[in-house]
Amino acid sequence: MTINGSDAVIKVDHVSRWFGNVVSVSEVTFDIRPGITGLLGPNGAGKTTLLRMIAGLAKVSDGSITVFGESVRNNSDLYRRIGVMSEHETVYQFMKGREFVKMMARLKGVADIDTAADRAIGLVDLADASLRPMGTYSRGMRQRMRLAATLVHEPEILILDEPLNGADPRQRVHFQSLLKRLAAEGRTIVISSHILEEVEQIAETVLLIVNGKLAASGDFHAIRAALDERPYHVRLLSDSPRELASALVKLESVDAVNIDPDGALVVLSRNVRDLQIELPRLAKASSIRVHRVEPLDDSLESVFGYLVER
Amino acid sequence: MGSVYRLTLRQLSGRWRLLITIVLASLPVVMGLIATMVDDPPSTEDFEGIVINGMLSGSILPLVVLAIASAAFANEIEDRTLANLTLSPIPRWQIVVPKLLGAMTVSVPFLVGSAFITSQLFYDGDMTAVLAVSVGAFVAVALYSSIFIWAGLMTTRAIGFGLLYVFLWEGLFSSFVGGVRFLSIRHYSIALMHGIDERRFGVGDNLSFAVAIGASVAVFALFLLLSIRRLRRMDVP
Repeated sequence: MTINGSDAVIKVDHVSRWFGNVVSVSEVTFDIRPGITGLLGPNGAGKTTLLRMIAGLAKVSDGSITVFGESVRNNSDLYRRIGVMSEHETVYQFMKGREFVKMMARLKGVADIDTAADRAIGLVDLADASLRPMGTYSRGMRQRMRLAATLVHEPEILILDEPLNGADPRQRVHFQSLLKRLAAEGRTIVISSHILEEVEQIAETVLLIVNGKLAASGDFHAIRAALDERPYHVRLLSDSPRELASALVKLESVDAVNIDPDGALVVLSRNVRDLQIELPRLAKASSIRVHRVEPLDDSLESVFGYLVER
Repeated sequence: MGSVYRLTLRQLSGRWRLLITIVLASLPVVMGLIATMVDDPPSTEDFEGIVINGMLSGSILPLVVLAIASAAFANEIEDRTLANLTLSPIPRWQIVVPKLLGAMTVSVPFLVGSAFITSQLFYDGDMTAVLAVSVGAFVAVALYSSIFIWAGLMTTRAIGFGLLYVFLWEGLFSSFVGGVRFLSIRHYSIALMHGIDERRFGVGDNLSFAVAIGASVAVFALFLLLSIRRLRRMDVP
């Protein structure tokens, strides 16, 4: 499976990882090319394990992973070209932000440490707080300073595991525009998230991981369109359920209606947008009071489940 | 390596850790002071057996080194900061060696200092004896550091492992099972003290000076290599 257009930078070939009897990642194969690739999946899907294997932090049980054509495991020289930001807040509480970024620059073998640290801290807009101990930072600030440390050696590949955790809306916008800028410079960025909308705004391509398997991959918009076509279950509570049910089945946007024993209607629709418009009109015309409307399968798990079944 | 070394020094120099180290390292000094002040001072054999061999080499020194050296990696694994180091373009040995040196740098001043002052007090300025005890303590700090650095990488229960090792292996078995002294850091340390100053620690079942030197070098190198190997093979959290 190939992502994006130019030569593959990261190759994941039939990779599996198991812990005892538990399979965390199963037979996953894909290539990643320059640009932003979103790794999407519900919590516990295996995203972090997969990213940790790509970063060389964890062993593969089977299969192989190469970065720039080389195995990344125990190949420390490759880290001059890779920046990894894990999902955990791996900072030294006693260290000032600038000290941390400078230490990471030194470890990465950067020549002009002060200039590199200033540039990286400037990129995440944290110059004012850089002389404070990181123990005093908010979660969002810690994430940004960690991103500065990840960027300090100007890596060609960025691997970011749930980097927007703890970021406020303004920080999200800033972060997203920064990633777009870095991708435009030709870098390869892999960003994981369990929130569709987070990835939708920045990633051109996505890899969908469900239960350790690659459920879908490719252009984000095509996958999003497939998501929009899926049938939705909507639960309705009204004062005249049978009357409302008979009116609803006449609508084009409704595929089926069931009446629960408690009198609630469960409507199956492939066009929820039209249903949203038509339902109030229909209720008003029939003089039916609708007390409650709730989607039944809006969770990410159901979205991914749908994609897996297709 | 300098960055990892400085980082390790800061991580291991927490206020509480240093305070406990100072208190424990002071105990042999206090004993030495008391021994010189009482009307009926203990014999040299008794003092060496109880204070130098039993208290310092047998318990305080390994326990303090355990608390410091095992934390060098175990704390980084626990708070998941170890990835900051392993994701850098430096070979694994350049992470392990400064960690080991950092742990020793924190331990040595207190423990070798304690050995130096205690022996200075009791042996009344006999510099050969003072040198023997100080060198023995230094070698013990180095060897225990090498072992406990490795333990911190191997298990999240390094302290429990270390306590069992210190009290069962070094304390109990090495005292009562003859062959175990060939694999006992406390016995290497005492043999080195005796080798440097033959008037001291002549307990009869000492290892030879040459065996003690060879075994010390072998144990230090073995656990250093095991730590490097472990860091190369483990999944870093």
